[in-house]
Parts: sequence; C-alpha cells; structure tokens
Amino acid sequence: MAGEPFGPASDPPILRAAEILEGGEMRAIPVERDTPADEGFAAFLDGAQRMQVIAQEDGIPIVLGTVSAAVRVRVDRRMQSWGRRPPVVERRLYMPFAYLGNSIVDAETRFELIDTSEADQNGIIPSQHPAALMERAVKKVQEDRERAELSLAEAWCESEEGPLFIDGGIGGSAAVATSSLAVGVVKSHRTLHAEGEALRTVLRLRVGERSPVFRIASRSRTAVASWYLRVRSADTRDSMWGLVRVEVPEENWSSEGANAVSCWVLRESSPLSLPDKRWDKMAYGVYDTEEFLRAIS
Amino acid sequence: MIAPMPLGRVVATERKPNTPHEFHFWTALDSPVGIGTIVRVDGAIATGGQIPHIYGVVTEGFSYTDLLTPLHDVLGHDGSPGNARFAATERAEIRLYSAAVLRQIPEEPLQPVPMGEVFLATESDVAIALRMDAFLKPGASTGIPVGIYRAGGMDSTIYLDADFLLGPEAAHLNITGVSGLATKTSAVEWMLSSIFTHFPESKGSIAAVCFNVKGPDLLYLDKPALLEEKDLELYEKLGVEPKPFDKVNFYAPYTAKGFALNTLRSNEDLEANTFPLSWGLREVLQFAEVLLNRDDVDAKADALIDFIKENILDREFTDALLGRKYIVRSFGDLDEWFRDVLRALEQKDDQSWRTHHVATIRKVRNRLSNISTRCAGLVTDEAIVSDLPFGSFEDRTVYVVDVAMLEEDAQDLIFARIVSKLREHLERRDLGVKNLIVFVDELNKYAPGDGPETYVRKMLLDIAERGRYLGLVLFSAQQFRSQVHRRVVGNSGTALFGRMDADELATPGYAVLSPAIRTKLATLEKGQLMVRHPHFTQPIFVRFPRPAVMQGREGTERYPQAGEMTIDVAVYRSLRLLDPGISLSWVQEITALYTEREILKARHATLLARPNDVKAYFAAQFRRIIPLEQPLTKKAAPALRTPPIDDPYGF
Repeated sequence: MAGEPFGPASDPPILRAAEILEGGEMRAIPVERDTPADEGFAAFLDGAQRMQVIAQEDGIPIVLGTVSAAVRVRVDRRMQSWGRRPPVVERRLYMPFAYLGNSIVDAETRFELIDTSEADQNGIIPSQHPAALMERAVKKVQEDRERAELSLAEAWCESEEGPLFIDGGIGGSAAVATSSLAVGVVKSHRTLHAEGEALRTVLRLRVGERSPVFRIASRSRTAVASWYLRVRSADTRDSMWGLVRVEVPEENWSSEGANAVSCWVLRESSPLSLPDKRWDKMAYGVYDTEEFLRAIS
Repeated sequence: MIAPMPLGRVVATERKPNTPHEFHFWTALDSPVGIGTIVRVDGAIATGGQIPHIYGVVTEGFSYTDLLTPLHDVLGHDGSPGNARFAATERAEIRLYSAAVLRQIPEEPLQPVPMGEVFLATESDVAIALRMDAFLKPGASTGIPVGIYRAGGMDSTIYLDADFLLGPEAAHLNITGVSGLATKTSAVEWMLSSIFTHFPESKGSIAAVCFNVKGPDLLYLDKPALLEEKDLELYEKLGVEPKPFDKVNFYAPYTAKGFALNTLRSNEDLEANTFPLSWGLREVLQFAEVLLNRDDVDAKADALIDFIKENILDREFTDALLGRKYIVRSFGDLDEWFRDVLRALEQKDDQSWRTHHVATIRKVRNRLSNISTRCAGLVTDEAIVSDLPFGSFEDRTVYVVDVAMLEEDAQDLIFARIVSKLREHLERRDLGVKNLIVFVDELNKYAPGDGPETYVRKMLLDIAERGRYLGLVLFSAQQFRSQVHRRVVGNSGTALFGRMDADELATPGYAVLSPAIRTKLATLEKGQLMVRHPHFTQPIFVRFPRPAVMQGREGTERYPQAGEMTIDVAVYRSLRLLDPGISLSWVQEITALYTEREILKARHATLLARPNDVKAYFAAQFRRIIPLEQPLTKKAAPALRTPPIDDPYGF
C-alpha cells in the first residue's frame, strides 16, 4: 500500500500474544526451498492513496482523496494488468459536514462527498481541531482504499485459479480471508503477535526462517493463520529488517503449506524493489503495482 | 478489414519534447521496430480539418528498466549473474525510440509531432514518406529502383528519381564503404542494371564508361553470376532481369612489349569484346600537362609545346634552318624533328631557334620523348590509334576501361583524355548516346580533399559541377568520403553508404547522423546500403540484390589471365578474331622476316581497319623484301681423265 503525501494514520505499537497452531511454542523453522519453480504467485494486488488539501474553510480542511488499486498478473515473468477487472481509481472529497456551511456541502461537484465529522465506531465525533479533522480524513481515505483493494481481491478469488499476493492483511474480507488463493503479506509491524521469549525468537529469525503458524483473530476482522518470515538478513540492521508476516485462511493452514508459501514469498525478494524505502520487505510485484498505480492515478 | 494494431505510442516529456523534426515513441518489447524503420503517426486532433499523419524513420533507440542504479541489480542477485534467471519476475522494461520526421501531412502548418498511435509504415506509407509519390506517377514515372526497404515482414521498393540521379535537376552518385566487402562495386553494378532497365524512354539513350582501377572487379560484367533464391526474389520485386549486361566492351592498353593486352581479362575465351587502347602523339600531346608537372612545364616549355601543337603536329613543316619538309605524326617523327633542330643549331653554333632557347628545346624533347616510355603499351612511337568508339556509343552499353595494371601516369592520361573526349562529344551531341555515366572508383586518390591541384581532380570537379547539364553523370566511389574533395561529394545528389570504417564515421561529416545510425553503418551486412537522395529528408536503409554479373575473384579463377606469349602467338590471337581461318603457322610464315615493331604496326592497322580479307590486308602492311636467292652450287668442272697415280706428267 502506498500513500502520499499524507501517510496512513498510525496505530500505537502493541505486543499481543497469539495462539500458536503449529507446535506448542514459538521457534525458528528453516524454510526448505525445494518448491517447484513454476509454482508461486500468479498475481499481485496493491492499493494506493493520495490526499491533497484543496481548500481550507476557516481552518477546516477540505481534502481531495484519490484511492486506487490494481491486480498485476505475471505472464512469462513479466507483469501486466489483469484483464478481467480494470484497476480501480476513485476520487472523493472528504470534509466535515458538521463544521461547514450548507453552501459548501450542497455545492455541485463531480466528486462524491464524504463526511469526516460523523461519529466513528465508538460514537466519537472529531473536534473542530484541523489536525483531528485531517486524521479522520486520512482514516476515511484508508478505509476507501482498503475497500477498493478488497473488491479486487474478492473478484480474483471468485474468478481465478492462481495464488494472489496481497500487499497487507486479508482479514478485512471474509470472502478473501477464506479463499485458498489469497496470501497476505504484511510489512508493517505496529502490532507484534508475540511477547516475551516468543518475541525474542521472532526478532532473531534468520533469513529463510519462519515462525510457527499462529492464529490472529479480532472482532472486526476474519480470523486468519499467520507466521513471521525473514526474507532478508538483519545481521547489520534493525530486527524488523526483512521481516514480514504472512496471512493465509485459517481453515487451510498446514506446515507444508506454510513452507511452500514462505518459499514463494522468499522467491519474490528478487529483483529488488529499490529505490522504494521498504525494499527489504517489498516484493517486486508489489513495487511494480505501485508504480503502475502511480502512473494511472 | 481489421484495422491494424498500433505498435507504439508517441510520448513526450518536458525534458524530451517532440519537435517538428523529431519525435519519441515506445513500443512493446517484441515489436519489429529497429533503427531505420519507417513509421507513421496518426494524430488524434484534426489540424485545419485534417487529421495529421506524420512519417518518420527511427534514428535512435533506448532501453531501460526501473532500476535506479546497476548496483541494485548486483545486490538483488547476490553478485551472481546466474541468479537472475531464477528471479520470479523480470523488471519492467521500456523500448523507447526517437524518430526523425520524413514528412508531415498536411505539410502546413508545420507543427511539433502530436501525441498519437504509431504504426509500422505500409508500402504506400513508405512512398508518401519518401515523397516517391511525386515521381512514380503512372505513365510518367522516373523511378529507378535502388533496393528494398524491409520491416516487419513487409518489403517495399525504394526508388530514386532519375531526374535527380542522372540530371538535369540534380545528378551524380557517390558510394562510400570499406574495401573488401564488394559493397562499392556491387552497388554500382546493381545500379547500372537498374538504370539500364528502368531509365525512362523519354529521357533518351544512356551508356556507361567504367574505369576499372583495381583488381578484376569490373572485368566480367558480361558473364553471369550464380544467384541465390533470395537474390532472385529481390530482382523480381525490383523489376530487373537477373542477367549480366547484354553489351559490354572492354578496353585495355598493351603491355610494355606490345604483344598482349595489359589486363587480367586476357584469357583467350574473352577476346571477342576486349579491345586495345592505344594512342599516338596527337592524342597524347593535347594532354601533355597531365604527364608533365609544373617544374617541367614552365612558361618557356609551354610555349614550345604550343608551337609544336599548332605548327608541327600533323602539318607540313619547313624551316630554313632544317632545309627539308617534315610531317610529324608520331613520337618517332617528333624525335627525328627534335634531333634535326638541335643538330642544326649546333652546326650554326646558335643558342636559340625561333625564340626558343636550345636548353628549352632539349628539355621539352627529353620530357615528351619520355612519355612513350613512361606510358609504354598505351602510347606508341608510331601513330597507331585504337580508341573508344567516340561518336558511335550505343544505348545501354557499358564500356570498361581497365587501367588497373598501369602506372599512375598512364592512368591519369587515360582518365583525362577519355573524359575530355566524352565531354567534347556530349557538348556537340554526337557521342552516340544522350546520357553517359562515368564510374570512377578510388576517389580518395583521384580527387583528394587536400594535396596538389591535378588535372584529373580538376576534371572530376568540372564533371561534378557542370556535367549534369551535358548529360555527363559521375558515379564515384571511395573508402573515405571525408578525404575526398568536398565539391565532388557535395555535388553528388545521391549518396550510398555501405559498411563504414569506425574511424571514418568519427569524422565531422557524419556528425549529423545519430550514434545508432553510425553504429548501424559500421555493422551493415553485405548487400545493405544507406541511401541519401534529394527527395528523402532522412537517410534510408535498403537491401539490394547481389549483382547478376560474375565477381572479379570468380572471373579470374574461371578465366585465368593469359601467360606471356610470343609475338606471333599474340598476332595470331588478335587476327583470328577477324578471320577464324587464320592459323599460327600462317602468321609465323608472314612475319618471319620482319621486326617486332613492323609486325605490331601491321597488326594494329589490321585490327583498326577490320578488312574483309584479313590475310591480304595484314600481309600488305609489310614492306616488300626480296628474298635472297639461294647461291647456285658451283659445279666443279669434270676432269677430262683421271691421271694414273704413277704418271707424273698426267698423261
């Protein structure tokens, strides 16, 4: 997922112990790289968002948000657009209706208007503080991007046969989180699903090693099976360097499956995704998709 | 009909914008576009009510990936190139091309090339792009096929405009290419075939005089070559019959001995259309300055030579000093005249004669007498002339003058005299043909950009600058165009380039070509040419078929040069062409009592006259010699009686 110029709203860093499904304890499992070369991901899905404050009404930001998502399929080792569904590019205006006059809210515009002042899941309405309104706008844009991504992921899982590399988690959609074609690869680790010695084991994973499969569940998301995988050596870097977390449907998990998917993910570490700053974790297919979205949105 | 798919899209950025003369486009990785490919851009927005179509030729290509630095690729594959093949994905890659505009439709207003789809040019597109539509009108075509343009499985014939190749609008052809790849000779042989086939009837007759300056390159134009299927297909496409020239005459001087012709084409089987080239005093004196350098011909010497030309040559000349009448027709006559003048001056102890100082007379005698030695074989002491058929040149005929085995002086003399004669006859419109091509190879040598002003260079400049008004067209070739006089190559309306030497391509004259075009020129295959022509705004690459004439190397293998021969064999071989009934023994019988000089003179006379009764004519050329009668055998008077041995008195 790419976003500019405003980054996604950050969650606070959290440690949360997870239920280990594969064996009883957290440990390093070497990934055997003997998966046939013709197996692997058939396509890559990623989304992007871009926000631009196009007007300020008494300090209240009116934001033009652009979200986009695309699936890029791999044919003869080269990336190209998925023929069944075109990429999604949507533009909306994000503004707090409650703090703006009717003349603005009712103005005719070619963009869909999104109210950033409505109450969230907890019933909280943002204050008139411009930063709070901006944060809410960012969150709304993120939700729209995730929705765009998931719509494509669902379409893929319904119509295709090859595994789909999804940049990010898969739990946001039950259809995706239960499809055997969906593999989510999470690069950010604001929430680490281990504590204590288990955490140390995860952070000490060497390149080509994975953690056992564990379960991730939350109220708002479908439960998935997940594991950590080190795709690049972190010997001279910080402990998060080259560390990704893989998600697959909970029902389908197996040690062999985790090994095979890990092998696929490791294979995607070449070619490098430079000059992207997240190149240590980012698959080239995702990088290509982001470049594609940058070109069309 | 299914609309053709575009193979590219025009792109432009602020850093790399399109202009009225250049545009950029990208293609798929597997597109058939390459350097030299002609493309058509269809604009999207009408200009003046007309959708613009832009025709261009690809001059440069770029390829790159999304890689920021090569180091990233090294890191990505752990420093091992072999690992790259295991990567699941190839990097995103682009093929970006730059193209030079050949033509815009509409031509006004001339605007930068718009964004649009790019298509491979069709055959009709190529004709429009190269403005060939202007001279390929049905019934009035002046197109001369130069080769085939090939791209994406499509062959398109490229034509040159005869009005611009052979005059009068522009004229002359210059060919550049490295030696040894048969590019230059092959190209000119092919062009002559094409011209002889396609030269418009309305423009009259045409012939060619080719100077063979090295090797056997042009000596087998009348013999067929073994052509491959691909060449035959090219010939068919280009509308030229794959056969050698119907009418070719070869000319070469004799060797210094004067027996045989000084040419590699001296094989007995090739004698029928191989003729001697032989000149006497009159022919040479007119071009004395070709052979005499400036140190030789000062004002005084020049005055004496003029005096000889005006008052002595071919005229009855008498002078009180000399006491008798002279008619000087040959070098021999001239030397005799000089000898008598000098002797008379010595007897009178005088230092000058008719204002000419004795030293000048001696100097001019020395220099002129020397010519027949320096150009032995070509110039004879006698007034024996065997020349090109000036005045009766025939349509679609090639006249090859072989000077390859001659000394430089003789080559210069031949070139100067023949070109001058051609020019004179064309000016008088009595050459026999209306248009004449003169082909000269090794222009680096004959018309160099630097060095002293020579007669030959002046003549080449004159043809290049004024020849087209006379119908005299120069086809020239050289390895290093940059070293040829600028006015010669600059006046060549059409230029062909074969494979080029990298050093030559680095000279400033080629700076107008893109690096990719220069690279292509340095690696051109045999049979490929780059063409510049007044109608084409950019150089175009074409293929031409292998000439349908035997190549020099094959010719010398199949028709080995005749070895040294005796004078009677040489004469027999010459005369047999006129009368097959002549035998070697007959020649030996007739010539037995005469000197070599007399025999050669008789042969020359017979060859020139081509009489009905060759034997009688040849025999009549010799002075009558009354053979000595055999002395009668003296018979001893018979003894009356044998005396007895013991009879001391004989009784």
